[in-house]
Parts: sequence; C-alpha cells; structure tokens
Amino acid sequence: MATLPRTRPRNRRLVSRNTVAGWSFILPNFVGFAVLTLLPVVVLFYVAFTNWNVFGVADWTGTANFRRMWDDASFWTALRNTVYYAVFHIPLTLAAALGLALLLNRKLRGVRFFRTVAFFPYITSIVAIAVVWNQLFSPEYGPINALLGAVGVDNPPGWTASATWSMPAVIIVGTWRYMGYYMLLFLAGLQTIPAQLYEAAETDGAAPWQRFVHVTLPGLRHTTFFVTVLLTIESFKVFDLILVMTGGGPGQSTLVLSQYIYQKGFEENQFGYASAVSIVLFAICFGITVIQFMVNKRRNS
Amino acid sequence: MKRAIPAVISAATALTLVLAGCGGGDEPVDPNAPVTITLAGWSLSSTPEFKTLADGFKATHPNVTVELKEYAPGNDYDTQMITDLAAGTAPDVYVMKNLKNFYTYQSGGQLLDVSDTTSGLGSGPALAPYQVDGKAYAVPYRQDSWVLFYNKDLFAKAKVTPPDGSWTWDDYTDAAKRLHTGLKGAGSNATGAYQHTFQSTVQGFALAQTPNADLLSGDFGYLKPYYERSLDLQAAGAQPTFGTAKTNKLTYQAQFGKQQSAMLLMGTWYVATLLNQRKSGDADTFQWGIAPAPQFDKSTTGTSATPVTFGDPTGLGINPKISKSKTAAAKAFLKYAAGPDAGKALAGIGITPAQVSDAVTASLFGLDGVPQDDLSKFAYAKHTIKPENPVSKHTAGLQNLLNETHSAILSDSKGVDAELSKAQARAKNEVLNQ
Repeated sequence: MATLPRTRPRNRRLVSRNTVAGWSFILPNFVGFAVLTLLPVVVLFYVAFTNWNVFGVADWTGTANFRRMWDDASFWTALRNTVYYAVFHIPLTLAAALGLALLLNRKLRGVRFFRTVAFFPYITSIVAIAVVWNQLFSPEYGPINALLGAVGVDNPPGWTASATWSMPAVIIVGTWRYMGYYMLLFLAGLQTIPAQLYEAAETDGAAPWQRFVHVTLPGLRHTTFFVTVLLTIESFKVFDLILVMTGGGPGQSTLVLSQYIYQKGFEENQFGYASAVSIVLFAICFGITVIQFMVNKRRNS
Repeated sequence: MKRAIPAVISAATALTLVLAGCGGGDEPVDPNAPVTITLAGWSLSSTPEFKTLADGFKATHPNVTVELKEYAPGNDYDTQMITDLAAGTAPDVYVMKNLKNFYTYQSGGQLLDVSDTTSGLGSGPALAPYQVDGKAYAVPYRQDSWVLFYNKDLFAKAKVTPPDGSWTWDDYTDAAKRLHTGLKGAGSNATGAYQHTFQSTVQGFALAQTPNADLLSGDFGYLKPYYERSLDLQAAGAQPTFGTAKTNKLTYQAQFGKQQSAMLLMGTWYVATLLNQRKSGDADTFQWGIAPAPQFDKSTTGTSATPVTFGDPTGLGINPKISKSKTAAAKAFLKYAAGPDAGKALAGIGITPAQVSDAVTASLFGLDGVPQDDLSKFAYAKHTIKPENPVSKHTAGLQNLLNETHSAILSDSKGVDAELSKAQARAKNEVLNQ
C-alpha cells in the first residue's frame, strides 16, 4: 500500500475533522468489537493462568495449565489432527479455487450461472451440509460407496464411520465448502491482470501453460498471498464443520484444537485450561501468519 | 500487575454480590401473599411434565404461580444453565437432568441446602446421590430405568419366543440373531435389535451389573464383554452398525416406532414418547411389551428375583440467588414435586416418578396403549436401579473420555482391548490426576 502524503500545516484542521469523521464512522463497529471480542480476548490471557471453573473465584496457578498441556496426550492428538487437516486442506482448496477461477474466467455461455453454483456451498447452512454429506458417505447405504463399488473398489472406505477415513472425509467436505469463496477472490485478482500481457505473450509464441506460469501466476501473487493467509487461519481454527460432521470421532480421530477447547471449557467447565489451549492455538495462527508475511516480503524484494 | 487484576476482579465480584443481595432484603414472609417462582424446563411444547408439575402445585398452593422458563434441550441444557447461573440470571428452581453435572452445581455453590424438604420422602435410593455431608442439595422427581422394549408382532412373525424375564445378555444376543434370520425368512427388512448410539446403551448396563465395577477406579475392563456382544450383533447384521446409525442419524423412536427393529434397550421415558407418537401417527400401531433388561448372569433373572438396571434420577434444586421471600414457596414446590401426588400426576402422562408405588404403576398402566401383560408390569415396577453417573469431580471428564472410546470401539478400528487400555491410560493421565 502507498503511504499517505505528509500533510501541510494549513491542512491540519481538515485532517482533524476527517479523523473525527472517520472515527465516528467506525465507532459503532468498534464498540461491538471491543465489548464482544477485544475485552474477552484480554481477559482470556488472564484466565489462562488460573484454575477458573465458571463458578466462584479464579485462583492464580501460574504456568500450571501449560505444564499440564505438555503432558496431555489428548492435546497433542488434537494438535496433530489440526495440522493434518491444515496440511491437506490448504493446498487442496488453493488448487481447486484457482482451477475454478481460471475455468470460469472465460467468456462461456452461462458462466454467471456456474460461478453462482460454485459459490453455493459457502452460503449453505453447515448443519445441512453435515447431514447430507454424512448420508452420502454412509458406509453401507451411501451413494459414494455404491459408486466406488460399481467401478470395482472391493473394500470401500468407511468414511466418517471409520477412524482412518474420517479425516479425509472431513477434508473433502471442507475443500468443497470453501473453494467457491476463494474462487471469488481469485476471479477478482484475475481481472487486474492486463490483457496486453497475454496478447504480448501470445505474440511471442508462448504456449497456454507458459502463459499461466509466466503471466497469470505472477499477476496473482498478491491475491494468492492473501488467500493463503486466510486459508491458513481458517484451517487452524476449523470447528463448526467437524463438530457437526463427526463430533471429533470416531474416538479422537477428528478431534481438533478448537473442539478440544470447547470440550474442556463448555463441557467440563475447566475454563482456565481451555483458555490456555486457546492461547496456544492463537500463538500458532499468529506465528504462521508472521512467517508468511516475512516470506512474502522477501519475495517481493 | 499480577496482583492487581485478581484484586479488581474480586472487588467487582463482591460489588455484584452486594448489589444482587439487595434485591432479596429482609422482606417479611407472609405464607399467603402471592408469589411467583420461576422453573427451568426444556422443549416445553412437547414436554408436558413441567406444566403438569406447575398446575398440580397451583391446585394446593393457589397463591404460588410457577412460571416456566424454556431452556435448550439435550446437552445444551447444562451449558446454558451453567452460564445463566454464573451470570446470576438463572431461574429460582432448576432441573438436574442426570447426575453427571450435579457435582459441578453443588461444589460451585449453586444449590441451596434443601434438607428440610426431604422429610417424609422416605429413603428411596434416588435421594442418596444428592446428599453431601449429610445435607440434601436437590430432590428427585423422576427416576427412569432402562428396560427392554420389544415388538410382539415382529417376534411372532419371526417365530421367536418373546422374552420371559429370564434373559441374560447371551440370551438377548441369541434372540436378536434368531430374529434377524426369522424376519429375513418372512420377507421383512426389520433388524433383530437396535442399539442407539448413546454410550449408556453399553456402558450403563456394564457398570450397573458387573460385580465390583467402578467408573472412578479408572479400570474399564468390565466393559469388554458388553462391547464384544455389541460388535458380534453388528457383524451378524442383527442390528444396524454404529456407523450406519451415526451417518444416517437414525433415531430410536423411528427405529422401534416404525417397526424397523424388534427390540430396543431404552429408558422408561420412551413409554410416554411411544404413546404420543402412536397418536400423532409418527409411530405404527402394533403389539409391544416391556421386559427387564438382560442380566449379567442367572442370579438376577426370573420374576422371583430382582433384575439390576441403571438410570439417573432427575432432580430439582434451588438457585441460592433466590430472594428470601420466595424460598419457602420454592421449597414447598420441591416437596410437592418429589411427593406422591406429583408422582401420580406424572404417571398420568407416562412419566416415571422418583417413587414408584402401586398407585403410580396403576396410573401408568391405565393409559391407553400401554401393554397389560404381567411381565411389562414387573419390568416397570421391580428392579434395582444403580446410578449411571457416580457423583464426583471426575465424572464429567471420565464420561466424555468413555464416550470417545465408545465410538472408537464400535467403529471397530483397533479392537476392544487396545481401545480400553488407551482409555485407561487417558483416565489416569488426563482426568484422575487433576
């Protein structure tokens, strides 16, 4: 982003008036953010160092919650599962969204219709998605396994009913749900690439693949970075999709960090410990985003 | 800084408590002055028990109005109630659906001592779990127990002898398989049994019936034979698999009510549901009966013995933030709800009250559509009920862990032994050490 030009003294009154106007515009939103998000987040950092159990007082316990986490096998399982989800969900969604965007960026008959269709999963109720996909995945009666059986797969996977296949099933649905949203961001990015660049490349005899690698991808660099950051954060804090699809099961096979936080906090009333786990999740999201920004900055220069 | 924040929080808490206390005051207590007390309930339109209690109480205490406040059904009830109690906005009287969270409420100081309401309630087993250090913190108004529901028409169709009260679990497994074969032969798609996805359907029976089984010991070996039988029934096709029940969101009401399965292990609350669904058309009309739950061994089978089953009482407690002028009315309400008059009224809508007397049994079996055979009456009235949840700090954590174990075993991933030893290690390292 370009920096604003430095203001001259005679403009100062105008600037202060603009500042007041600006603040008054964001105030309604900011008040809501401060009361409902910022304040709880600040309190969270205190609660994480206590043994607060919702009723009564919170005793200061220092780093006890974090030491407990170190020895807590379920925490590590949840962390492993979260990474498992992210490692597959991020590249798959990125590739699918970019592919869809390229496909729907042409002048086709009915392209608007297909763009809308691709966006539909994102605006569909997550509970409805979970119910329908669970039925599709049903190991004995579901159409997916019927299809696999028809093409000669003898021992089709148990999907959400099997500890081995539940995570892949959730990743598939997660990718399907979010690719439409990121496709929209990529479509917007594609509009910013000047058509002359493609024409010049074509005149120079570049093949479609070469045009993609040397014109489209560099032109989309900012969009790709933005999408990757959003996707990473979204993947690490995945919660609702897994909660309604598998509830973390079978066993702990799809238990992710945010669900573990919910379980410890709202089901077992260990709000101190749940807050400590949230801080770890926050640190992971924050750390990875910072690394992404640093890598991006180095590439830009 | 570290010290300043707790100080500020304590000061704020103290201030809130003082301000909240002002409302109560020392108003004079007039026993005949009009009083309104609030009572928590869930799914009010389809769960008539709360209105039955409120109306029944009004008949003998015309000056007291019991106002119902609707809460979320299912597990969300406790989450919502805990939040409201912590925020100070909970109703005067609230329900404890089971014993899993009683410890949380009681140890958190969210229940008033109601020892003076328990006189005259006898010493039923349902009272005991609510006693801490000789004081009662809640009273039971319902006590469901788990029994075997069976479809007499489907048994006849499959030409299998219906239960006679002598069944152990091996007899049950055997009957489910023979039903499966028989029904298939008769051209029916119904399964022999349906085991709902609740962990209780396996773990509740195992804990109640196995000698020396103790949830809090962290030794879960007692679950093994019960899980092996479930897996055996799944493998034989005699009941829908856990995966099918989960992914297709099968409901036990449709499974039994629509004659998809010939046998169903369920709590006695299902009697009222089944009767209502027959009226509304959500369930078919067929001959059915209740039998005692299958037993661990022959020592508790037969109608001359007392079968062992499980079930948590459902209790009522008083929010300590209730204003003083309402405490007497709330206590009177608890006494009524746990007593014989409310019992008869509840039985009249198919609900099993905490104290099952002959009058209660007669009232329930007088309802239209309830089976009239002796075995059903025996199964309903005579049993030893053990609680599903012992009252302890560790109960909620252990039950959540065992719920994960339940889905892991029934989706047949690594085998019963491996999953149980994993559960034991987790219980030791993650729950019992806290």
